[in-house]
Amino acid sequence: MEFFKKPHFKFMKFKYLAFSFSAVLILIGILNITLGKGLNYGIDFAGGTLIRLIFKEQISVSRIRQELSDKGLGASRIQEVGKTEREYIIRTLQEVEGAQLDELEAHEIMGKRVIEALQGEKEKSLLDQGKRDINSIDEEELTLILESSFPEEGQHVAQKILSYRTDKGIIQDYEQLERAAGISPEITSFLKEKTFLGDLAILSKETVGPQVGHDLRRKATQATIWALIGMLIYIGIRFRFAYGVSAILTLAHDVLVTLGIFSLTNREINLPVIAAILTIVGYSLNDTIVVFDRVRDNLKILRKQEFQDILDTSINQTLSRTVITSGTTFLTVFALFLFGGEVINDFAFTMMIGVIFGTYSSIYQSCPILYYWNKIFKPKKGLRK
Amino acid sequence: MKKKLRWKVILVAAVMALALFLSYPPGKKINLGLDLSGGMHLVLQVVTDDAINIESDQEIMRLQEQMKKKNIAFGTATRGKLGEILIEKINHDQEGQIKDLLDEYFKEWNYTVIHEKVTLSMKASVIQYLRDQSVRQSLETIRNRVDELGLAEPTIQRQGLAGERIIVELPGVENPERVKNIIKTTALLEWKLVYAGPVSDQETLLTDYSGEVPSNMEVVRGDPQRTEGGYYLVDRVAAVSGNDLRNARRSVDEWNNPAVAFTLKPDSGKVFYKFTGENIGKPLAIVLDGKIQEVATIQSRISDSGIIHGRFTIEEADDIALVLRAGALPASIKYLEERTIGPSLGADSIRKGLSATIIALILVMIFMVLYYRFSGLNAITALILNILIMMGALSYFKATLTLPGIAGIILTIGMAVDANVLVFERIREELASGKNILNSVVAGFSRAFRTILDANVTTIIAAIFLFQFGTGPVKGFAITLIIGISASMFTAVFVSHLIFDIFMGKRKKRDKLSI
Repeated sequence: MEFFKKPHFKFMKFKYLAFSFSAVLILIGILNITLGKGLNYGIDFAGGTLIRLIFKEQISVSRIRQELSDKGLGASRIQEVGKTEREYIIRTLQEVEGAQLDELEAHEIMGKRVIEALQGEKEKSLLDQGKRDINSIDEEELTLILESSFPEEGQHVAQKILSYRTDKGIIQDYEQLERAAGISPEITSFLKEKTFLGDLAILSKETVGPQVGHDLRRKATQATIWALIGMLIYIGIRFRFAYGVSAILTLAHDVLVTLGIFSLTNREINLPVIAAILTIVGYSLNDTIVVFDRVRDNLKILRKQEFQDILDTSINQTLSRTVITSGTTFLTVFALFLFGGEVINDFAFTMMIGVIFGTYSSIYQSCPILYYWNKIFKPKKGLRK
Repeated sequence: MKKKLRWKVILVAAVMALALFLSYPPGKKINLGLDLSGGMHLVLQVVTDDAINIESDQEIMRLQEQMKKKNIAFGTATRGKLGEILIEKINHDQEGQIKDLLDEYFKEWNYTVIHEKVTLSMKASVIQYLRDQSVRQSLETIRNRVDELGLAEPTIQRQGLAGERIIVELPGVENPERVKNIIKTTALLEWKLVYAGPVSDQETLLTDYSGEVPSNMEVVRGDPQRTEGGYYLVDRVAAVSGNDLRNARRSVDEWNNPAVAFTLKPDSGKVFYKFTGENIGKPLAIVLDGKIQEVATIQSRISDSGIIHGRFTIEEADDIALVLRAGALPASIKYLEERTIGPSLGADSIRKGLSATIIALILVMIFMVLYYRFSGLNAITALILNILIMMGALSYFKATLTLPGIAGIILTIGMAVDANVLVFERIREELASGKNILNSVVAGFSRAFRTILDANVTTIIAAIFLFQFGTGPVKGFAITLIIGISASMFTAVFVSHLIFDIFMGKRKKRDKLSI
């Protein structure tokens, strides 16, 4: 099978169109970042508390928002996970009251208030009656409770119950638990007496203080800049300087476009997203190098041709490789995007944008830039090496 | 030629066997990050200023003693800014004496004398030493406490070589709040005589002392959970402290309520025996982290063991005994970051990560076979070997597999075939230009190699910087990417070439290559 049989596309003919397209895209992005919505930093960079919850029963976003605003927590950001209507990610966004020094504690207090607001009064009274929430109890305590009446099997049953809970995220009713975990009816009725089914379970809770967020932001910027410098040096050694400059400008284009799209789609920027952006930088450069490598070869072979035609020939020669590699990489990150779950979703999204624009830019940014560099600066030794 | 081939086959087989041996069974050999196994990640800062203040306080006491001994008159000796001691209202005539004293006994301090005031400032090297020590000690103490908790495979390490931050990673923690409190408690336990209190406000407390706290006393509050609360006037210096403890454990008091039983070290026991003997009938306070837990009247001499009552729950008594056994922190600590991932979310992430990986793998395989036929199978073989090597390397380096790490594997699947694609496309070109199969394959590999190297090195450069700056999960991503791409140079170039060689060697004259 072959996608392209000896392609002869005149890519360079559309360089102005490509430049304008990219320029507009970047401009919109920058405007949106500086004057518009800005970048939406996640807790890794902005600090705050992020709680992931699963509810026993379905609950709508608006119900949650209502419950939270009743307790003065209306500004919290609520995000549904999947389409279950049971799993949510809540980020507290209220201004933290209290001493500057202990902002982390203040964040945590906000987190606790969110959980309390959603648990409601009923649970508190059950706890006061001495019942324990089977959806938050730990193994040690559950074992103790069970062993008070079933000294022999207490620990074993506690383990079974908790592994069922781990599997489901939350225990929805006792009968299901009895069947699935293979517990005797006596124990079930004992559990019903001593415990209750809490309305929600906390799947994860992350709190990042402002200092850490600040540090991470600095480090992320440093890593990106150093990676770019490192690559510039490498290409500078392996190719001529002009290639290095064109490649780095192309990468800057990719980073700007990605950030712009993040701003426009209002997605949160977290650590994995930065990782994805850096990977894109590496990936896009990878693409660019393949093309440049051909350009370098062709400059030796096709001495008489115009530079612009050599660029076109090189792009065409590497076209099927570019398309296939982008295709397989896109397939994999798309699989990650669809099936990888919420936690990795932003990462996969970033990679998808990156693969598309990385491919586009290695054809439509790096080559035209190289072309103009050659035209304007006319390097004495030429571009052969 | 044949012999060379055989050696290559043996090499590849050996690498595979090693990778399998290292990574099997993967459930046991591969370290899972906290985001997959569930657990708690804490970043905490040691407030090293505390250590400097404590040292300053001790030096003030030493200074006061020395000055009294030498009959040097002074108004007050107090702590100034961080690492500073101010002695005020000294006698002009005794300036020389003071200087001699400071030169002889306080070598760790610089000092200036202006008018009637001496300012001592701790030398920078001493400050640095104290800061470093307090972080080391905190690290040790936290490690002890975590060990006492009996948690499996904890990681406790200092961030950077001279950093003031400590990273604690605890897989499979079920009760994060409790663990956090145990780690954070300073656990400074002191026995002090009580002179007045409890009363509800400071003024009443100080009526017998004309409204001022005497220099050898201090005001502390009762812990509202354990006592009636209120203010107490107690000794400034403890008779016995947590450092003198040999052991502590949960116990019960005479009414069967939870309590903490302690045993003192032999020497401290003697000190305590003498102290309690001299103060029979006086109230003695047990102070934990500056809050009074219990006040009891000394009934008789106590030598080396006793009980702390103070209305504990069983769990509290357990935890207090634990922190006392593990020792006090030399400085207070502050949490900077806290991430708790429940076990079900971790399990869910593994499930989803695994299914995404398998789907990605299948999609790429189908595509490669459709597009390159037999050569596609070759690429798939290389890809599977690549994943095997990645697993082996992850186990060998004891690297941690995180969710972004799984993403790194998935990405590598996509990018590793790139090397194959580059080679295959080159071979196709060579074939199209009329070369025979053998030459096309050889030329394809050798020409593509430079491109593959350049392209992969740049990706690895990015990954290295990512590793350098990243925290846990992101580091995991950088690691899998670096390993995967490096391995792809071996699998997609060396192994893949070998497979071509083997199949072409079988029939001398091949006229068709399925590519």
